[in-house]
Amino acid sequence: MTTTDIPGAAVEGTSFDDVRGWRACAAAAVPADRAAAEDGVRRAYRQAGLPDPERVVWAASPRAAVTLVRELADKGASVREAVRSTPWAGERQRLHTRLGAAGWAAHWAATGGLLWDTTQALVDRIRAGVLEELAGGDTGKEAAEVRLVLLDAVLGQHDAPWLAAFPTDRGPLEGLAEVSRHAGWWWPFARVAVVCERPVALHRDEAGRLDHGDGPALAYPDGFALHAWRGMPVPAGFLAELPTLTSDRIRSEENAELRRVMLEYYGYDRYLADSGARHVHRDETGTLWRIDLPDDEPVVMVEVLNSTPEPDGTRRTYWLRVPPATRTARAGVAWTFGLAAEVYAPERET
Amino acid sequence: MFRQGDVLIVPVTEEAVPPHVAVAPKERRDARGRLVLALGEVTGHAHAVVGPGDLVREPGPFGPLLLHLPQGGRVVHEEHAAIALPKGWYRVIRQREYVPGSVRIVAD
Repeated sequence: MTTTDIPGAAVEGTSFDDVRGWRACAAAAVPADRAAAEDGVRRAYRQAGLPDPERVVWAASPRAAVTLVRELADKGASVREAVRSTPWAGERQRLHTRLGAAGWAAHWAATGGLLWDTTQALVDRIRAGVLEELAGGDTGKEAAEVRLVLLDAVLGQHDAPWLAAFPTDRGPLEGLAEVSRHAGWWWPFARVAVVCERPVALHRDEAGRLDHGDGPALAYPDGFALHAWRGMPVPAGFLAELPTLTSDRIRSEENAELRRVMLEYYGYDRYLADSGARHVHRDETGTLWRIDLPDDEPVVMVEVLNSTPEPDGTRRTYWLRVPPATRTARAGVAWTFGLAAEVYAPERET
Repeated sequence: MFRQGDVLIVPVTEEAVPPHVAVAPKERRDARGRLVLALGEVTGHAHAVVGPGDLVREPGPFGPLLLHLPQGGRVVHEEHAAIALPKGWYRVIRQREYVPGSVRIVAD
């Protein structure tokens, strides 16, 4: 294959190896190389025509950095526009002009586009986690202030998708790229630069979603952490409980999403065997199961598949309890929506 | 009717919509300007409609939510494919499950 077959792959030193390198950069969970990152910060300021920051201050996580940024009185004005946005826009414009619209699109698809979705999902989750911990959610005045600081970050290692699309060995993005290769998020101000450590742990599944059953899926050195199961945020204490689950505990969990996670961890087959379930009926809407209990009404459940596949191609299975007199899967699913079996007929399901 | 995860959206004929619904207070849109049909308690993910229209909380056989889409719309969710909805009126039904002695809403 010649390089003209893949217009994006041969532009000015960007190649598959670079994308692979940037992919590793985005996912790096090792301590920052502080000297190299600080050198990159100063270079980025100089390339933007600014004097060096008087100080570079380190924070152990994006949460700590946001707190620090809000408390620093003498940091000066934000210079993010000059340090990051302007040189990026210039490089993008230069490549766009050279490659044309279609060429630029192909180039992006072969470089940054490959990294964009998973990195952006991670960035969104980190922002949500910081908002949750510092403002207790994403509404209200406090949340608005935290969000503004978060949106003002230069994303360091998580700028990897953008940087993968441009030459960074020499030229206007050299300093920015240097910080990205060696540190996490950062905030450039006229007098102070606040720079973040990288995570100490990052666990993702095949589809790139945060996923870990035995601890945080993402953790920073100061303890700021996100817990998730196949991308779904879960409370930290919930994961600690998974290894000691029993079928009774699973049955008593009131939240259907958390129960699904418990069942995935425990294993559906094992759960059904443990609970003595028998398969009663199956049709295109799902499967009806029945668990006879001594001295109690039977547990009758419909097993329903989500119609939209997960990013890894699997489909989520839900188990919903229905009245004990339910005889068919269709009647069970219809009941969960308050409808009679003969009326329930979705023309589209996702 | 249309199902997106734990939400069922069932067409209602315009004649069947109670007349007072026209002047009933409308549900507020969220910060992104969407009509939120159901919000996941754990994930924060929402079943939401984008496009012009109204959402009315309505007790009785048409409630708890009646959705009016004069030009049609799309129902979106972070984890489910979007569904195009033709123009018209709908009742929005949240999936529930059986609990001995009571019934609870499914928390997606």
